[in-house]
Amino acid sequence: MKLNTFIDNTKNGIVRLPDITKSFLRNSLAGYLFSALSLRDALVYIKYWILTWAAIVKFMGQGLFKIGPAGLIRALINNPWILILIRVNGLANRLVRGRTGMYHDSICMTVHTVALGVLEQLRNMLFDPKRLVIFEDLVPYDIGRAMGLKCYLLELMGIALPLIKTEATLQYIDEAENSGMNPDACSLPKATVGMVLKGHMPRGVAIVSSNMPCDAGAASYAVIQRTYDIPIYRLDAPYNFYNERAEKLFSRDVMGMITWLEENTPGRMDWERMREICRGRNRMLELENELWEMTRVRPAPLACAAVWLSHLWHFNVSAGHPVSIRHYEKLIKMARRNFENKIPATNNEKYRAVLWNPPFLHFVDIFNWAERTYGVTLLNDSMTYNHHGPIDTTSPETMLRDWGKTIMQGPMVRHTRGPAENYLDDIFRMVKQFDLDMVWVANHVGCKGGQAMNGILREQCRARGIPLLILDYDLSDPRIVSHDNMLRQVDFFMENVMKAPRLN
Amino acid sequence: MATPGKTMKVFEELLENPQNRLVEQAAQEGRIPIGYSCSFVPEALLMADKLFPVRLHATGLAGTEIADNYLSSFVCSYARSLLEFEMDGRFDFLQGSVFVPSCNHMQRLYDNLVYLKKSDFSHILDVPRKVNEDTLIWMAEELKTIADKLTARFGVDLSDESLRKAMARWNDFAGVIQSIGELRKKPYPPITGAEFHQIVMAALASPKDLILPYILDLKKELKAREGIKKYRARLMVVGGHLHDPEFIKIIESQGGLVVADRFCTGTIPGFKTIELNGGSPYKTLAEHTFAKTLCPRMMEDFDRRLNIIIDTVNEYKVDGVVLEIIKFCDLWGVDSMPLVTALREKGIPVLKLEREYRLGSEGQLRTRVQAFIESMGK
Repeated sequence: MKLNTFIDNTKNGIVRLPDITKSFLRNSLAGYLFSALSLRDALVYIKYWILTWAAIVKFMGQGLFKIGPAGLIRALINNPWILILIRVNGLANRLVRGRTGMYHDSICMTVHTVALGVLEQLRNMLFDPKRLVIFEDLVPYDIGRAMGLKCYLLELMGIALPLIKTEATLQYIDEAENSGMNPDACSLPKATVGMVLKGHMPRGVAIVSSNMPCDAGAASYAVIQRTYDIPIYRLDAPYNFYNERAEKLFSRDVMGMITWLEENTPGRMDWERMREICRGRNRMLELENELWEMTRVRPAPLACAAVWLSHLWHFNVSAGHPVSIRHYEKLIKMARRNFENKIPATNNEKYRAVLWNPPFLHFVDIFNWAERTYGVTLLNDSMTYNHHGPIDTTSPETMLRDWGKTIMQGPMVRHTRGPAENYLDDIFRMVKQFDLDMVWVANHVGCKGGQAMNGILREQCRARGIPLLILDYDLSDPRIVSHDNMLRQVDFFMENVMKAPRLN
Repeated sequence: MATPGKTMKVFEELLENPQNRLVEQAAQEGRIPIGYSCSFVPEALLMADKLFPVRLHATGLAGTEIADNYLSSFVCSYARSLLEFEMDGRFDFLQGSVFVPSCNHMQRLYDNLVYLKKSDFSHILDVPRKVNEDTLIWMAEELKTIADKLTARFGVDLSDESLRKAMARWNDFAGVIQSIGELRKKPYPPITGAEFHQIVMAALASPKDLILPYILDLKKELKAREGIKKYRARLMVVGGHLHDPEFIKIIESQGGLVVADRFCTGTIPGFKTIELNGGSPYKTLAEHTFAKTLCPRMMEDFDRRLNIIIDTVNEYKVDGVVLEIIKFCDLWGVDSMPLVTALREKGIPVLKLEREYRLGSEGQLRTRVQAFIESMGK
């Protein structure tokens, strides 16, 4: 290396030092301890920190035993993103900043149970590839699990990685674009396709995809299927689905999927197991509804990541799983304790907000900032919110019908199909249900369907007197709209529309 | 290249405005114009009794200022253009419209149209995204629903018999268009790609029976025409909505002769005739619709799309494929990725062009086509 280069590199390193230190303090245990609001909080945080690390070490140990040291090293080389997941405690660190008591604990617990779930995914992916079936993100595993299959959600890492490390999926987005995918497509399918093209994803023996939620997501499976060259089944949810005819069509489609899986994988349908999973899902739904009932009251006993991250993981990936049911039971217990003792999640709940569209994956702690800076408390979001009924577990037919309804009427699916009312009515229902002061729209530039509703939404909110923030960003790519820019958009909204002074 | 005859001028004129003189003539005769935006709407259904279909197009559009406010500038410019035309009152002559949630953009276009401009008759046809026995029944039911609504609203006769007659009329018409299209297989076709597209677009935008005499005149004219010998490469255009024949004219100005069209408003396989089998006309129409439409929204259709392109390349002796995609179209944008790879693997040169609905960046288009033809060694 030339001397000049060495000097330049050293200079650059020194210039970056404040940023590196800041990042270290934001993500490390030491950094957390500096900022913990109480000794009790610190102890709870350390408990979950240790538990998560213990789970990681256990997974590594199992890996060594099941696939051997060489296999484990090969797995890490083929899937280098696994190393990013190790930083999961950093996510907890960022999400609990400025929070205390049960609110703080619930977020620690949520991140921990999500970490356990991710490790379970890695086990599925690495330890039993012959039974591994790839599922698209809006087709939950329930049926795969009932069939005794190992399931893997292909979009999972496109969602999980930016939560942990902002830039984690950029190389995959670039890979997809460089291979010819349209740069204006949603960055989640781009990241997924990029990971597949780079060979950083498990292959599996079969794929189950669907027409949900959007064009780019559905179309990306043409690329994925051709790359993997394995059989694929595609579920097709009708455009108009709030009717018996659509329910019948979709339930026949789901039955077709089961038959197809039996023909193309070692899985066999076990309706008793399916019944257990559905019952578990129903129990979680019941618990979640109880949580929402409590959060309707001002000030809310729990909010933000405890609500949205719990749903995002436990309902979409492991609904009905004992770990997920236990998670919700504990969560409700914590919420109830706060609720009964009239302890608010945050003392600064000045504005109650809902987030429409998926959360800001690469900047999830924006709500910690908004909470501390303006007293904006996030109560719910479009990915979490639903109002479908429980699954009737009487017979396989009723389970198929209601499970299908759960999917079609699930978040994102019902918002991206059917008339505009499917999209708008939920927002206004939430405003009423949660006594909201404002609506935030996460205006993901790659989501054309959402973009095309902004005009109507703006006028409808104006007519109803609901303050609306349309926050431009990209789901997984901070190069499109930077974090600073996102903060400024919130600042402008709070200052100019809400006339809200900063709390500090 | 051949000099455009008088008949070609007629087609050109018919495309200047959605409310062209043939549409006006039909309306004055008491017939009912129904607009539609997607190839998944079977034209034959809208040709029954007094109905006639008008393919929604916005040629000559100046800008999309109002539409951008509602749909955002990140939405496909075809959807935005239609909304702009609607807001300008350019589609006011239509007595009804049928849309398809063919993609997120068209779905939201429909939502915005319903919100911004209440129409007496506006229907969205729920077309499945895969074809099997169940979805064929579903599609047939969807077509029956729309037929019932049309009957209730306009008092038109959409009985099975009336529909069969309409399908027969469609077959006659499509047969004429196909016979002209067949001429393009010749080593020296008598018609350019731009001219052919002009005819097809004019036919889609006008009552079929009223435009047919002009098309038959042209067919006669073509028989007397000398074939085009001066071209460098035979090209096929593939993609989504392409309405403005000027786009093809520019490609041809660089020496590429467009001999085959596999896009939404093209004839391969868009002008397929309907196999009349005496069964339920709705089922027949449903089967026909799925067979004649090749769109990346159909999740299980990739191989069929690819094979039809390859077969067409062989049949029409195509040297290279121009893949045109409207910017922000996720379906074509994503699908083009494996499509380009698969075609190149078969040794077919491909030029992928991203464009706006409205013709623009002509200089860039010329340069890219020129470079493409040169890259083929032509």
